[in-house]
Amino acid sequence: MSERSSGSIPRVVFAGFASCFGCQINITNIEKHLLDVLGQIDMRYWQLTSSDPMPAQFDVAVIEGAITTKDAEISAKRLREIADTVITIGACAQSAGIPGMASDDIDTRMKDVYSDHVPALISDSAYSPRAVGDVIEVDFAVPCCPVDPYEFVRVLQHVLYGSNIYPHTATLCGNCKQNGRGCFYGRGVMCMGLVTRTGCGARCTALGRECNGCAGLSPDANIDMARRIAVASGIDEADFNKALEMFNYNNEAIMELR
Amino acid sequence: MLYRVIDAEELPLLVEAFMRDHEVVAPVKSGRSVAFETIGSFDDIVLDYTTTLTSLKKYYLPPRETLIEFDAEGGSVTDYELEVKPRVLFGAHACDINALINLDLAFNDGRYLDPYYDAHRAATMVIGISCTPSDTCFCHLLDADEVRGAYDLFLQDLGDRYLVSIGSVEGANVLESACNPREATDEDRRAFRQITRARQESFSKDIPDVQEIPMLMDAFHKDEFWEELGGRCLSCTACSAVCPTCYCFDIADTLDPDGKTGRRERIWDACTSPQFALVAGDHNFREGGRERVRHRMYHKLNGFNSVHGRYLCVGCGRCVRACKADISPIEVLRFFERKGASDAK
Repeated sequence: MSERSSGSIPRVVFAGFASCFGCQINITNIEKHLLDVLGQIDMRYWQLTSSDPMPAQFDVAVIEGAITTKDAEISAKRLREIADTVITIGACAQSAGIPGMASDDIDTRMKDVYSDHVPALISDSAYSPRAVGDVIEVDFAVPCCPVDPYEFVRVLQHVLYGSNIYPHTATLCGNCKQNGRGCFYGRGVMCMGLVTRTGCGARCTALGRECNGCAGLSPDANIDMARRIAVASGIDEADFNKALEMFNYNNEAIMELR
Repeated sequence: MLYRVIDAEELPLLVEAFMRDHEVVAPVKSGRSVAFETIGSFDDIVLDYTTTLTSLKKYYLPPRETLIEFDAEGGSVTDYELEVKPRVLFGAHACDINALINLDLAFNDGRYLDPYYDAHRAATMVIGISCTPSDTCFCHLLDADEVRGAYDLFLQDLGDRYLVSIGSVEGANVLESACNPREATDEDRRAFRQITRARQESFSKDIPDVQEIPMLMDAFHKDEFWEELGGRCLSCTACSAVCPTCYCFDIADTLDPDGKTGRRERIWDACTSPQFALVAGDHNFREGGRERVRHRMYHKLNGFNSVHGRYLCVGCGRCVRACKADISPIEVLRFFERKGASDAK
């Protein structure tokens, strides 16, 4: 555990595992507020901005990306041992995300890439991609692909100062209706808002693009009903099931589909 | 009630008179439907719309509204100026004005006046307009197809002219200055009666007219119907987002990115949201869809009645269209109809 005395500025590290680093990049997109945010923490490690090595002590670990190797798992466990608080950012960390789609047949995929000469570094360590939460305990998860940087700031401030905002598990359609949008169903377009957890502001649908479910399934999602609605509006059931997998690879609610 | 008549050609003059010193919100075409939006000219308005996707409630109860601002470092509340726009809501149907009366009952209660709601309400004029029901309209079954009060003017379309019901001095003054209103004649009154009858006849016959709804809500509180209805719920809260009378809210303190200042905001909430009834100790007293959907219907068709003597639901039919799982008060009315038929056997 860390040795932070109360009242001091929390030491924060950013760690990236298997991901595009887009979530970390997106945090820098708060631009004019970035220095204000950095001013509230003691940033000790950020691969994206510095080659300095990971320090031995810190208070908050922010983790992007899926765990795809035994080495990464060891690194994640070390982060957990040292940090008081672990925050994951993005869909890859939350659900194994895009890397997770390679989970089912990992050996074949290695052969696709390396033919019969899979390097020992890979074959000894790589395994089916996992969510960070499947490897270590996670305190806060900032969802979506990529994260909303302001939602990251909100979660970080929750860790720093506390908050009276509690997480909602409703699905997206209510938020979409608040934006005054009609529904994609009935237009032959599949939209994952029916089962996807709210909180993103339904921005994609507000911009006329269907939800691809990057916030992940709501724990209160009514998947059977949503599937019936999709099929009744002309969507192929297999397409709907496939779309469910994309950002929910490790979710028990869809295990039967795999 | 005071009635005047204006020619249909005079209507643009009335709207333009309001536009001079108000933001005018009216039904306009939006994608495949009609929405209430701020208009730039009279020609934007769709006068003969049936319903809109969302209601007018956002103009009194914004989805997210700052209540106070605070200095997080000093721990003090700073003064905050509520932004209130003088606004005219033009083209509201009777159901939506009845919904407004219900919101007034909830927020303008003399004992617990809501200053934010009151400020928006006081700065808003309402101009109603007559309508033709769509197949999802059932306002007539919930005593909301006619409206008494809460508007400044109400326009009844009589074809080439409008019978204007005067609801306020301010409304009358604008009408007088912009148009040449004349006294309503017996012929006007007969035309009004004829059109009203035709409207009453045009409601969907597929939606059952059930008597004593509040009593039936109590009688069938434990029926398995609620399990079936609630089991379909997607927990999306679309119903309450489009509802003109869902007024529940959550309060959250949000810090600015610098962590030094912040604001307390009122944010729309919904009893169909899984966390709505979550209380201390992690206890959720409406844990499943059955309890949540039933509760929502109870407030709409029973609970509000017992306090205010009116249905909270005004039968606008927006939730009928918004709910992908076909959960709506119409399904509750149909359930009562089926129960009545089977009990009679």
